[in-house]
Amino acid sequence: MNRQRLGLRTLTMLAWRNLWRHRRRTIITLTSISLGFGLSVFSISLGDGGHNNMIKNAIDFGEGHIAIQTTDYLQAPANYKFIADQNPIIERLQQLNLQGKIAPRIALQVLVSSANNSIGAALQSIDMEKDPRVEKLKTQLVDGRWLTNNEQRGVLIGEGMARKLKVKLGSKIVLLVGKKGGDSEAQLARVRGIFKTAMVELDSFLILSNLQFGQRYLSSEDQANPNAVTRLAIFLDEHDSLPYWHQEIKTALKNFNVAVLSWEEMMPELVQYILVDDIGNYIMLILILAVIVFGIINTVLMSVLERTREFGLLRAIGINRGHLLLLVFFESIWLSLFSVAGGWIIGGGIYWYFSTVGLDITGMIPEGTSFGGTFMDPIMYAELSMQRVTQITVIVFFTTLASGIYPAIKAARITPVQALRT
Amino acid sequence: MALLELKNIYKTYKQGEFDVHALQNISLSLDTGEFAALVGPSGSGKTTLLNIIGCLDSASSGSFHLNGNDLTQAKESDLSNYRLFQIGFVFQAYNLVPVLSALENVELIMVLQGRHHKERRERAEHYLKLVGLQDMMHRRPKALSGGQQQRVAVARALATNPRIVLADEPTANLDSENATALLDVMHELSHEEKTTFLFSTHDLRVMQRAERIITLSDGQIQKDETNPAAVA
Repeated sequence: MNRQRLGLRTLTMLAWRNLWRHRRRTIITLTSISLGFGLSVFSISLGDGGHNNMIKNAIDFGEGHIAIQTTDYLQAPANYKFIADQNPIIERLQQLNLQGKIAPRIALQVLVSSANNSIGAALQSIDMEKDPRVEKLKTQLVDGRWLTNNEQRGVLIGEGMARKLKVKLGSKIVLLVGKKGGDSEAQLARVRGIFKTAMVELDSFLILSNLQFGQRYLSSEDQANPNAVTRLAIFLDEHDSLPYWHQEIKTALKNFNVAVLSWEEMMPELVQYILVDDIGNYIMLILILAVIVFGIINTVLMSVLERTREFGLLRAIGINRGHLLLLVFFESIWLSLFSVAGGWIIGGGIYWYFSTVGLDITGMIPEGTSFGGTFMDPIMYAELSMQRVTQITVIVFFTTLASGIYPAIKAARITPVQALRT
Repeated sequence: MALLELKNIYKTYKQGEFDVHALQNISLSLDTGEFAALVGPSGSGKTTLLNIIGCLDSASSGSFHLNGNDLTQAKESDLSNYRLFQIGFVFQAYNLVPVLSALENVELIMVLQGRHHKERRERAEHYLKLVGLQDMMHRRPKALSGGQQQRVAVARALATNPRIVLADEPTANLDSENATALLDVMHELSHEEKTTFLFSTHDLRVMQRAERIITLSDGQIQKDETNPAAVA
């Protein structure tokens, strides 16, 4: 005897018509799913936007994508741990044809004193013309002027530090650096400018100087080599090329006795913060998906139960269990496709708005948005990578589809005799 | 050889702790082209017997042959195929798929049978014309009267070229005019197509047209006789 066939076209057509049998119910279900989808797009895209913004600021205001420093500096930072001669490393990096900028830096823990007060601070000595940090901080200068690479004792401090030390432009401050063996060295500096950023850490603890000033402290440790730096910060042109260049540089510098660290390794607390925040977002996504799942199960199951007699008829006239299961499953496929499409219309609209206009969070977080050595811009912009778009679409589509399995099995189990009795 | 042969069929249901003997020692055979009716009071076993003959249910014991095939121990998937290829059904109500037009309803089973689009369209149109619905082919069931819906069901049952059509109270919800018209159509087609019809009915109008009347009572065949008025 021949086997029965039910083509894709017939299944699709039947499922499509069944879906719209109760137009209002289907529209309500689709709307609720789409709104849930839109909400998850909003939550995830804003979360991603915030995280990416924090990472970008951490890189721009911090130590770049990759930092090269002495091997034991990260575990136990000390002022006497520095790269004695940066030149061979820079030459090796130039041979790699690196797509990015190399910024030599000196970072020292100092005790800064004015006539009125003393506080602990971080001295950062950079190339005052070429360092990528210049373009970020120069615009944040609220008083005074930017430094040149030639001046002898000029420094820039944050507004918070100026307030604590009770100093103003032109004031003298003394920077005391602890050295190996318990000695210390003090240098006199003069405040040439005051900056104000969104980061408490920068405003209250950062002192900026040119490299020449920082090298005074290192030169006395190593008189023979004035090219000493504590770190080489690398700013890549393409953020996504980080894994490649991280590995390339690591390999290239394996004989230099230096650590090549990515920003994630430099700022593990930021990575953990993002991870925890992502988990929160995923929990929210799971809750939204649960609402979607129950919405679909409710719709499809109700539609199956009220068609028990009809399914009985279909079974009686010869349609087999498999085809009945497929028929109901195809209804779920339609529902899934519409849910995803509707979800992207709503979610896409929300995303477009918040990626263009942004969300002002200053009122929501009055204590500031700095965290773990970075900060979030006061206006948050939504961001969605292609990977995220695929991830959300696939998760919602298959969750929606999976919701149709139980009703489909229920329909397939209907026996014609019992169904026709109802 | 008979088209359909039942021997010593028993059907027992469990109802709570009790056994209900729906059918007892039923032996029956039907030949090709017969126009027969199963009659009897409610609970006499008509629908149960029709369900077994229609491969919708299985007997507790006894043997059942359809068109020479022993279906006594057949699997559900095989029974499903027998229903599709050899049996046509007309039920009392809710006979049609509401989201399909009359034409699509008739075509649906032929789609399952794997018939070519052109062939099934021609057959569907042919049988809908035979039942007088040539102008209503594209209407959905809710736009048809009860009588018209039953005629679509008859067209659907016949379009698949079944060996036997089983009709469970097909006229129960129809007025006299529609019931008579429907019976006329089925009777005519039975003779033209040489298709066996077996009705389960209380309806006197059906009994008057049936050429053979099988009377059931308490799950047993009480009488099995030809209806001289109908045969004449």
